[in-house]
Amino acid sequence: MLKIQNLTKVYEDGTVALKDVSFEIPDGEFVAIIGLSGSGKSTLLRCINRLIEPTSGEIWWNGIELSQVSGEELRRARRQIGMIFQHFNLVNRSSVLTNVLSGRLGYVNPIASVLRRFPQEDIKRAHASLARVGIGDKADNRADELSGGQRQRVGIARALMQEPKMILADEPVASLDPALAHSIMRHLQQINKEDKITVLCSLHFLDLVQQYSTRAIALNQGRLVFDGEPKEINDEKFIEIYGREAERIG
Amino acid sequence: MKNEKRNGRSPQWWKTAAILLVIFLLYAYGLQITKVNLQEPLEPQRQANLVELIRSFARPDLFAYETETRRLTVSLRMPCPEEIKGSQVAIEGRELLMVPNCASTTQDPITITGSGFLPNAEGVIAWTPNGTTSSRRVAEFKVTADGQIDTTFTMPDIRPSEEPQILEVVEVVNRNIVGLSDTTYEALDKIVETVLMALIASTIGTFLAIPLSFVAARNLMQNVKSPMTSIMTGVILFPILGGLAFWLGQLLVSPILNVNSTFLDSLQTSLAAIGFIGNFIFVLFELFILLIPLLFGFAGALAANLLGSRLGEQATMRLPEATLRILNFVLTVVGTAVLFILIAYAVNWINLLGIREFLPETLTGQLSLFVWPGLILGLLAALWTLRAPAKHHYATGLVVYNITRTIFNAVRSIEPLMMGFVFVVWVGLGPFAGIMALTLHSLADLGKLFSEEVENIDEGPVEAITATGANQIQRIVYAVVPQVTPHYIAYIFYRWDINVRMSTIIGFVGGGGIGFVLQRNINQLLYTRASVMVIAIAIVVIVLDNISARVRSRII
Repeated sequence: MLKIQNLTKVYEDGTVALKDVSFEIPDGEFVAIIGLSGSGKSTLLRCINRLIEPTSGEIWWNGIELSQVSGEELRRARRQIGMIFQHFNLVNRSSVLTNVLSGRLGYVNPIASVLRRFPQEDIKRAHASLARVGIGDKADNRADELSGGQRQRVGIARALMQEPKMILADEPVASLDPALAHSIMRHLQQINKEDKITVLCSLHFLDLVQQYSTRAIALNQGRLVFDGEPKEINDEKFIEIYGREAERIG
Repeated sequence: MKNEKRNGRSPQWWKTAAILLVIFLLYAYGLQITKVNLQEPLEPQRQANLVELIRSFARPDLFAYETETRRLTVSLRMPCPEEIKGSQVAIEGRELLMVPNCASTTQDPITITGSGFLPNAEGVIAWTPNGTTSSRRVAEFKVTADGQIDTTFTMPDIRPSEEPQILEVVEVVNRNIVGLSDTTYEALDKIVETVLMALIASTIGTFLAIPLSFVAARNLMQNVKSPMTSIMTGVILFPILGGLAFWLGQLLVSPILNVNSTFLDSLQTSLAAIGFIGNFIFVLFELFILLIPLLFGFAGALAANLLGSRLGEQATMRLPEATLRILNFVLTVVGTAVLFILIAYAVNWINLLGIREFLPETLTGQLSLFVWPGLILGLLAALWTLRAPAKHHYATGLVVYNITRTIFNAVRSIEPLMMGFVFVVWVGLGPFAGIMALTLHSLADLGKLFSEEVENIDEGPVEAITATGANQIQRIVYAVVPQVTPHYIAYIFYRWDINVRMSTIIGFVGGGGIGFVLQRNINQLLYTRASVMVIAIAIVVIVLDNISARVRSRII
């Protein structure tokens, strides 16, 4: 259960990225976050695992107030929240296997991990994760040798290594072509259904939202303007979310 | 709109003119101050000096020669008899006339003319004073293209004797290279020393610069924040744990150093059997022993920091606001006082502003003087912290970042030549002083360059690794190190390059290496030898330049 109350983020330059955002997400949901570029989607996702410090408001997750923890406790919370990025954020010069194994950093012995030693079972788990997303044969390649779709799968495998209870996906398919986008979304859907992992996923295309998510949250200039089932988004709602000049495609 | 533009243009014109005028005046004044004098280099004497210098440098003393000579002997009287004559000698088609055949003072000119010599050969006139066996060179000559000689000289010294003295006209008929000259051997020896100096300095500098570069990178440090409780607990524990550990280290080392200084001697003797490798092991061992107290102290300080931040973190999370405020207040008073006392000791020790003369000499005397100001300062600091909430996290990372950066910039701005001078005072003449100077400069320079490389990385992977719950060190190892490694290696080679060039001149202040010999040769006006050193430096720099360019292109 993720519960966000009156979350506000004002950047140092005065930009208000989020304003008084409140919502609740029960475990196991697939939530799409929609809105224009700059509406605060990325900021919202990053506030949840504190990659960005919220200015005010509360973030409750399974009984912990995420906005108040620090140090060791913050790391322990973060390791249960996987994250997937638009630009994949892999370490290009490292191998695919190392990239996937780095998902275990929150769990393993810090000293051993600094020496790049991982337990045997983690290495097995990494290979299994890669096989699950369909690139089991790429473990020894360098990350920058992979295509875009393959890189995002590495990103998913890395998130899976965290044994997450929730996955935050920041526009995971915005840099991919439509066919690859559907393949990545199916992987996320499968993880959501089979592993009962909550997924929060910001998306640009409404057809993806309606096809994969069980619920949609819309932001406009940092405010929550819609929270409901994706099929409720009619033309009127659409204008409210995207503004009058936007035209509906897809 | 147009009007505005026209109005705006006229002051612009004046501004440009004013700037040009200032630049003109600046250069005019600069020319006067720097005493640029174009007449000087055109003077014939100056030009002759330059030509001589260039010709000496163009004739490096690279090889050892064996010469084949022919000699003609004439006799010379000292001082002159009443009747002054000339002497004539003829052997095997060579004829020689010396006028006069005597000398009374060192100003008397003697002229030797002759014919039938080997065309274009060089030669010397050597004098073997009566009663000695060694000959002295009194003049040099060059045979013309048709075999004539004509040279006038004076005797360097008058030694009167009854018997005539022997002058030899020595003509070089053949010259063979038999090997490398002593100068070349010395240059080779010293250039090896120079390159190794640069290698050792670069290596140590690199090892120290790498961890420091992460501390000096803004993007890594700006998110490091700690609550006041952590900071102050760390500050209070710092001298306690650091001092305790240092003392323990000394306790551990003292039996080795004091009771048994023969231990080190015997170690050195036994290791000497395996040559320079034995020496290497011995130096490492000695260094280790000498560094133990320091390492212990450093580890203690680190432990204090970790423990302080952990304790502070827990206290901040668990304690209620009011209790935490009181705790923070007390800790800030004590912590600031401790910090003040530490800084005051340091300032007093280096005698900043000549402060030593006004303070008591004993440690306890100084302490009693520092405690009260420290506590008052602490109270002020504690009052200041009340402005922010008790759980406020302060940007300690940025403080550390700024301090490290400032130190790097300050050290970098001091030329290694000056550092070399300081280290020569400390550890004496020789390459060791040079190594230390270059190490310090490399450390600061690489630290700065490395940290800038860290600041330029793609932040995406760092974000991703952070999101997995990794701590700061894991973040550096997994997200930063892979991105910066090729750049670091390129910089290391670049720095080695610089260090080789620097180490060639650090000898000028006594820091060892080839510069030491180069300077000696220049001072003794032995330009043909200096030329060999310059050539050796040039070759090494060019070769290294090539190697480093190749390695860099392969890695990136």
